[in-house]
Amino acid sequence: MLSERVRQDIEALRARYPVAQSALIPALLRVQEELGWVPPEAMAEVGRLLGLPVEVVAEVASFYTLIFTELPGRHVVQLCTNLSCMLSGAEAVREWVERELGIRAGQTTPDGRVTLLAVECLAACDQAPCMLVDEQRHGPVSPDSAVQLLRELD
Amino acid sequence: MPQPVLLRYVREPDQADIDAYERRGGYAALRRALRELSPEQVTELVDRSQLRGRGGAGFPTGRKWKFVPKDAPVKYLVVNADEGEPGTFKDRTLLEGDPHLLVEGIALAAYANGVRTAYVYLRREFYQAHRRLERAIAQAYQRGYLGQGILGTDFCLDVYVHPGAGAYIAGEETALLESLEGRRAMPRLKPPYFPAVMGLYEKPTVLNNVETLCCVPWIVREGPEWWLHQGPPQLYSVSGHVNAPQVVEAPLGTSARELIERAGGVRGGRQVKAFYPGGTSSRPLPGKYLDVPLRHEELAKLGSMLGSAAVIVMDETTDMVKVIARVCEFYRDESCGKCTPCREGTVWVTQILDRILHGRGRPEDLDLLASLARNMTGTCFCPLGESVPPSLRAGLEDFREEFEAYVRAAREPATMPVRLHLGAPAPGG
Amino acid sequence: MSTVTLTIDGRTVTVPKGTTVYHAARQLGIEIPIFCYHDRMPPLGACRMCFVQVDRMPRLQTACTLEAQEGMVVWTESPEVVEARRAILEFLLINHPLDCPICDKGGECPLQDNTFRYGPGASRFVEPKRHFPKAVRLSPVLTLDRERCILCWRCTRFGEVVAGDHALKGHERGYRTHIDVPPVTQERPSKFIGNTIAICPVGALTSGVYRFRARPWDNQPTAGVCTHCGVGCATWVDTRGGEVVRVRAREKPEVNDIWLCDVGFFGYDYTQHPDRLTTPYMRQGGTLQPASWEEALDVVARALRQASPRVGALGGKRLTVEEAYLLGKLFRFLGSNHVDARADSAFAPPREWAWGAGPFEALDRVGVFVLVGCDLSEDYPVLWLRAKRALDRGAAGLALAPKRLEIAPYLQGAVVHRYGTEADVLYAAARLLAERSGSVPEPLRQVKVQTSCDRAGVSCQAVEDLVRHLARPGPVLFVVGQLSWDGPQPGRTLAALQTLRAVCGGEVWVLRGKGNATGALLAGLAPDALPGLVPPEDPQARARVRAVWGFEPPISPGLAAPAMLEAAAAGRLSVLYVAGADPARDFPDGDLWKRARAKLDLLVVTDLFWTTTVEQADVVLPALSCFERAGTWANLEGRLQRVAASRMGPPGARADGDILQLLSQRLGRPMEYASVDEVWEELRRVAPGMELDRPYSFPRPQPRVEVQLPTPLDGEGLVVVPSAPLFRTGEMASRCRGLPELAGNPTVVLHPEDAVPLGLEDGAEVELQVGDASARARATVDAAVAPGHVLVPVGFSQFPRSRWQRPGLRVRVRALQPAGRESR
Repeated sequence: MLSERVRQDIEALRARYPVAQSALIPALLRVQEELGWVPPEAMAEVGRLLGLPVEVVAEVASFYTLIFTELPGRHVVQLCTNLSCMLSGAEAVREWVERELGIRAGQTTPDGRVTLLAVECLAACDQAPCMLVDEQRHGPVSPDSAVQLLRELD
Repeated sequence: MPQPVLLRYVREPDQADIDAYERRGGYAALRRALRELSPEQVTELVDRSQLRGRGGAGFPTGRKWKFVPKDAPVKYLVVNADEGEPGTFKDRTLLEGDPHLLVEGIALAAYANGVRTAYVYLRREFYQAHRRLERAIAQAYQRGYLGQGILGTDFCLDVYVHPGAGAYIAGEETALLESLEGRRAMPRLKPPYFPAVMGLYEKPTVLNNVETLCCVPWIVREGPEWWLHQGPPQLYSVSGHVNAPQVVEAPLGTSARELIERAGGVRGGRQVKAFYPGGTSSRPLPGKYLDVPLRHEELAKLGSMLGSAAVIVMDETTDMVKVIARVCEFYRDESCGKCTPCREGTVWVTQILDRILHGRGRPEDLDLLASLARNMTGTCFCPLGESVPPSLRAGLEDFREEFEAYVRAAREPATMPVRLHLGAPAPGG
Repeated sequence: MSTVTLTIDGRTVTVPKGTTVYHAARQLGIEIPIFCYHDRMPPLGACRMCFVQVDRMPRLQTACTLEAQEGMVVWTESPEVVEARRAILEFLLINHPLDCPICDKGGECPLQDNTFRYGPGASRFVEPKRHFPKAVRLSPVLTLDRERCILCWRCTRFGEVVAGDHALKGHERGYRTHIDVPPVTQERPSKFIGNTIAICPVGALTSGVYRFRARPWDNQPTAGVCTHCGVGCATWVDTRGGEVVRVRAREKPEVNDIWLCDVGFFGYDYTQHPDRLTTPYMRQGGTLQPASWEEALDVVARALRQASPRVGALGGKRLTVEEAYLLGKLFRFLGSNHVDARADSAFAPPREWAWGAGPFEALDRVGVFVLVGCDLSEDYPVLWLRAKRALDRGAAGLALAPKRLEIAPYLQGAVVHRYGTEADVLYAAARLLAERSGSVPEPLRQVKVQTSCDRAGVSCQAVEDLVRHLARPGPVLFVVGQLSWDGPQPGRTLAALQTLRAVCGGEVWVLRGKGNATGALLAGLAPDALPGLVPPEDPQARARVRAVWGFEPPISPGLAAPAMLEAAAAGRLSVLYVAGADPARDFPDGDLWKRARAKLDLLVVTDLFWTTTVEQADVVLPALSCFERAGTWANLEGRLQRVAASRMGPPGARADGDILQLLSQRLGRPMEYASVDEVWEELRRVAPGMELDRPYSFPRPQPRVEVQLPTPLDGEGLVVVPSAPLFRTGEMASRCRGLPELAGNPTVVLHPEDAVPLGLEDGAEVELQVGDASARARATVDAAVAPGHVLVPVGFSQFPRSRWQRPGLRVRVRALQPAGRESR
């Protein structure tokens, strides 16, 4: 189910390490770039490429919060709710973002547009409250500006 | 105020580019080391600088390097760029603002330790830093600062960026190595897995934090005496209820009061109720300690620590019960689940705190929390679980009346604390 | 070895350097509670239960991870330790359901026991407990209750460290951590999952078969031996109300350590299955009719007497040593040496190649072991665990096989060669090694490395790698297995192996034969050996036999199984007595069997079930299972283990030993013994050197250079590589709950090069045609076999050995239906 390109990239990743398993997490992230998530069949295929039992792939994938074993929305919004952001108003941002999207953190909008994640410290407390929209960091965000950012997403 | 050292160029928009970096003196230290210094001499400079690890544990870097067996045929350098301690953002600032400083630091550390392969374990969320670092590494290869036969010597070094995938515990050094080996980031047993002797792939491994390595080029270029004379320079991440949260470079031992001033002062001109001096793993201190020098020794005396030097400021309006509950939740969510006290203790503690916050606290809960804090102290496998008791203890000892107010409110709802702090107005408000 | 001396609770103990405080304390009889630590796996230090206090150390230490140091002063009952243990137990219990009254583990649960001894009296936990779906069926034999799980990681580490199958894993993290299997279908079930149930310190992992069947204190344990594969694992057989409710491993370091495979764990239900034969049958008017024991035994005795010495006996793997001895003795009395325990083998080499192995402990010392056509984890699973231990301590493991072994990832080299060409690889290796040593023995000069490699379809590099590993320090062990023994040219393989051994030394094991097959050979069920595997012409042995038996056994060797069937087919053998064997299904040449059967005057079969051979018998005698009679069982090492009966057999069935005694009375040579011991003592007089609990050291073949030329195997179609997986649907396994589901449906494997022209996709349904017969199965497309080959799982009802084990068999493969999602 993986494209030839992804398979080649995984081979290249493998070459960076003396032990193939080291390439596992980068490989899963590479799969995710392509498919948006890591479906079970892809786990098995990555396992075959790296010579690892699928059991190992699955236990590793499930440990890390940014390896998605369920299909997320087209956009993944990570809202920091840790202390510095909380002190700077992240709770209100979260409340308004949840209201705007009609979902709670940890959920995906029914139309598959946005997955909202309440995450731990993004190491951007100088921009608290801070929010990652896909790979783009925004902050400080207010409830207004956060909602505005979400409305601009396709 | 002296000129900053580590932050000197981070705000220069072109600093991430190798030309600008070189123009501002970059890679001079590496040239000097490869031309004039033996690996042992580089280690010696770092040792004399009294540089201590900036990741949290504060272990002397020179000593760490000396633990690495000199004669081992294969060794690794691993950079801990998994900055995740709440309130800490100095490594990200360096990575985004001055990535070549890290690359040069990596090259120097590798040279000093006889390493030919280095991995930078980079937090997944650092998308921008990732792009800049990859570019910096590519440029460094092009200019011959990395790769084969560096600067015409027989020193060779390959550097790879290894992305994390969302796990705070991967910041713990042995968990990081597990993760780098493609496994669940669960800490290893020490002994035998001291990274310096049995690290990545069971080979001797130098493991340093981003900021630590960013100090090295300066130490090598200007000398340890100069470095010590500078303070030594220390990055403090100042956030929370300050007007201009930012990374502040100040001499080691600067007080929180001064750091808060440099971060624009307390928001709204309020009083400081409490502050974390070294990230949420350190024990938060009441405002009366604002003038204590933030240095390992002084903080240890107060039962706290410098940790990652993340100063989180909480003003007088802050609900400390809520703060401590939030901190405990963080450790609950980030616990790897390996050991019993951390996995179970973090859940239990947050369940109790949650109940208290929701007006269902019982008077005996405070003693129970104190007991659980005791039971999680000295019993966890790694420092993660042990990061919960300092906050709990501080809450129960220094801010006990706030807990008692919640518990009282369970029977007299009218007294429910209403200081639930919302930092920003609602939209349209 | 250097030692350290330390003080624990005021007492001094000296232990080897490297010992942990936990073990040092045990040496003093001081018990330190543990959960995650298990002494067959490295310390983990996760559960934090084993805290001790050590003078001059700042915090409590985990005894399981702490290495004892000279002068260390340790306290295991200090107030701090007592407090910390209580705290850990409290943490472990907050989310434990405390459903002990309905938990299988209740009564034998370390969590219960440790809580009783060290735990808090009451819980301070008033929050809602963590909930998971209850009783999740992870496999047909494994049920998981995640709420009971205390995340000690024993089961996951068992899969990593001991079995290497990674069957169970921790998923997610922190308080969400739970044990799980991957979200995709596992291609193969674990062979060792029962062990995870055994080492689970709570009732989280329970047996899908034993679940809710008994409380442990109601069980009656009997020391037993597993008789499935031939490793002879020591067991505890738990019975309740006359039923076997559970089988557990019994610690025996020199055989199975503390482990069993899942056939051993879950393969016991057959003994109480309603299909058990409970009355004799006799063929009357073409059909088998129930008969009385009297009638049946009279008929058998009369036929044996009349046909003597044209009588033969086949089988033995399900007989005890004593019963096999009596069977051999009876037939010798009848003047026949035609006795053979190897009823399912077409290859019958002389006595010195009897199946068997040296002591398994040799694996603990080898520098390199070479599996020659030996699918170790499928055929002798628990022996693989020992081999894995050897690999883990640095030994090299190599394999030559016509298929990719499941354990290949753990081996230093695994060569997949064309079927039947392992001799070519071995000869090539011998030639290379001889060249390296500077002297090539004359016969070896005719071996050309390149030609040999080409014939085997392997690269010369692979042979060079093999040679490189053979040069490693430490003893070399060659292990010949069923894939070679039952292959097209086993004799040549043995000759090649002998040649290689002549060049590089090394011991050789032959791993074949199930149950007590080796024991039956030792007890005398071999055509060319008296009890003890002694040649029948050996004067001393004959003297002993004469003295004890009171009659002279025939001196000339009898016929081995294949020759016996040939003789029967030619009308030279009239009565065949089959004891606990199913040659109609298992003898690799089904046509020969048919011809033999047709000519036999009388076919007598003793068995538990209505087998294929029983169906064709003239007299059927219902026998007892291994749980139902006392006796001695020998494993592949010839290690003799005595067991007692653990349950009564069904009324109407008799032990084979009793049947033989009754027959002997009717034959005028009464063999009467009051007990198994009497038989055993007699056997020991005939074959000195047999000792209980010791491997019997029987003569092994000596190396010599002998080059045999290959017999070309020509023909059309794909070459069948018959290979019996551990989980299959035999007479016993198919009558045990769980095992048939583990076996699943048989799958054949084709090489991609062969699949493409056939238009075959992975997972497609195929038909295999051979002559006028055919069989259907799903096909896996995988380079696990050489091109031109098809791997066929024999031992499934679709693929009986009688048809599919014939060496050199070729088939036509036809796709029936392409793989489709809907068909999965």
